[in-house]
Amino acid sequence: MALPLTPGLTPTEVAFLCEMEMVTVVPRQKLESLDLLAGATQPLRPPHRVPLPLWLALLLKRQRRANILPPPWLFPASLDKILKHETEISPETFSPPPPHPYAISVLPSATNHISPPFLPSSTADSPPDYLPYHWLELGEILLEACSDDIPDPDRVRTVLRGLREVRMAKMRASTKDLEGGGISSLRGVGAMEVAEGREFMVGVMDGLRKLGASREAARREREEDEGGWSRAGR
Amino acid sequence: MDISDILQDLNRDRDPFDDDDYNDGRPSGQTDLQDLTRAWVNERGAAELLPYPKDNLIERATNRIKAQIEKVEEMTGDMDPKTNFSLIIIQTEVERWKFIIRSILRARIAKIDKHTLYYLSTPELQTRLSETEVAYATRHQQLLHGHYLGSFLGSFPPQLQNLNDTAGGISMIGGPDEEGGVFVRSLGSREIGGEGVVVRGRGRDGDGEVEVARGEVVVARWADVKEAVEKGEMELV
Repeated sequence: MALPLTPGLTPTEVAFLCEMEMVTVVPRQKLESLDLLAGATQPLRPPHRVPLPLWLALLLKRQRRANILPPPWLFPASLDKILKHETEISPETFSPPPPHPYAISVLPSATNHISPPFLPSSTADSPPDYLPYHWLELGEILLEACSDDIPDPDRVRTVLRGLREVRMAKMRASTKDLEGGGISSLRGVGAMEVAEGREFMVGVMDGLRKLGASREAARREREEDEGGWSRAGR
Repeated sequence: MDISDILQDLNRDRDPFDDDDYNDGRPSGQTDLQDLTRAWVNERGAAELLPYPKDNLIERATNRIKAQIEKVEEMTGDMDPKTNFSLIIIQTEVERWKFIIRSILRARIAKIDKHTLYYLSTPELQTRLSETEVAYATRHQQLLHGHYLGSFLGSFPPQLQNLNDTAGGISMIGGPDEEGGVFVRSLGSREIGGEGVVVRGRGRDGDGEVEVARGEVVVARWADVKEAVEKGEMELV
């Protein structure tokens, strides 16, 4: 009964999570509003576009009841631009994630702390120049389920593969930052990349921490001896 | 369902002055789904058992599912091909919710199984467990202890029979590795007008405070970000 998995989402779980992302759908058939657990869906009236979670969009697509509008970042031109950014403009770091769609409001508001997959980063009106958190899974799922809705799917597939390779190299290179411990930023990283890299990176981190444990303890002791004003003494 | 509707729902339902779950201001399904998903990813990401989801989240979600299943049963009465497809959609969603809840609970059981005595050892740690989980852990430990006593512990001298010895400054009760590495995303400060979350990272050659911008993913030691995760300023990914 207990879950036999180690901590951290597996790639299949990440794909499951990704299916909660909102995508834009163009219905081909009427469907009345459905009272789902997560709230009522909008009634489908062709040809009006409707935002729906990916799992539902895939269900409709499979039965040819709707077409999925690919997000603007999945067009070949946008991907080319992002790839250029990844290779030429910032060859060391990931390209930046899309800006948070909801500005922080002064009053405590629920939108302040929403995170993927509940941000509208892959609907038809999402920004074209950024890879969202679930870019890889979403791209792969859409290419498989509705390549007929994507302009130039072969080209998209090629560029996605290029992006994946460039970014995997960056992920591997980022292990260098792990040596001293502390907080290492992976700004712009994707969900699948985290899932793939987790075991290795956490392993490296824990191994190095154990190797450096005596050095860290000695440093802490020394700083404490030097006086309560030091940062470690706080 | 328009995104502005969702937002409105969220704003209405997250009224900070309203703690009662069962009046008109009870959280919307969308809010519950978001909270449930976050609880699931957090629980799956942490090596340590996290506090049981607050405000009856699990119970509320289970009740929602129950009601939905009843509705499906009623709908199957008038089988016409058109409602048939709607039923598939509704059932698919129910299965998704059930999967998340099951996964949370199973991940928790795995952690309780691994360090049963640890989570039962202090009242503070026990508050992280739900009532059923405490009952489960206690019974689990009883069975285990009975088995140990019967198979080998019983033939030891009495002073060596303890399972929670702390002699020599080392506790026999093992806990999860609190220093293990985790991937976390900053959700933004919970302070008014706050943006990034400031975390203090401990390293081999120095400690330092870093501000993690909203939406940024970082790698850190669990002990350094645990507080931020519990405050809802960060989430595991």
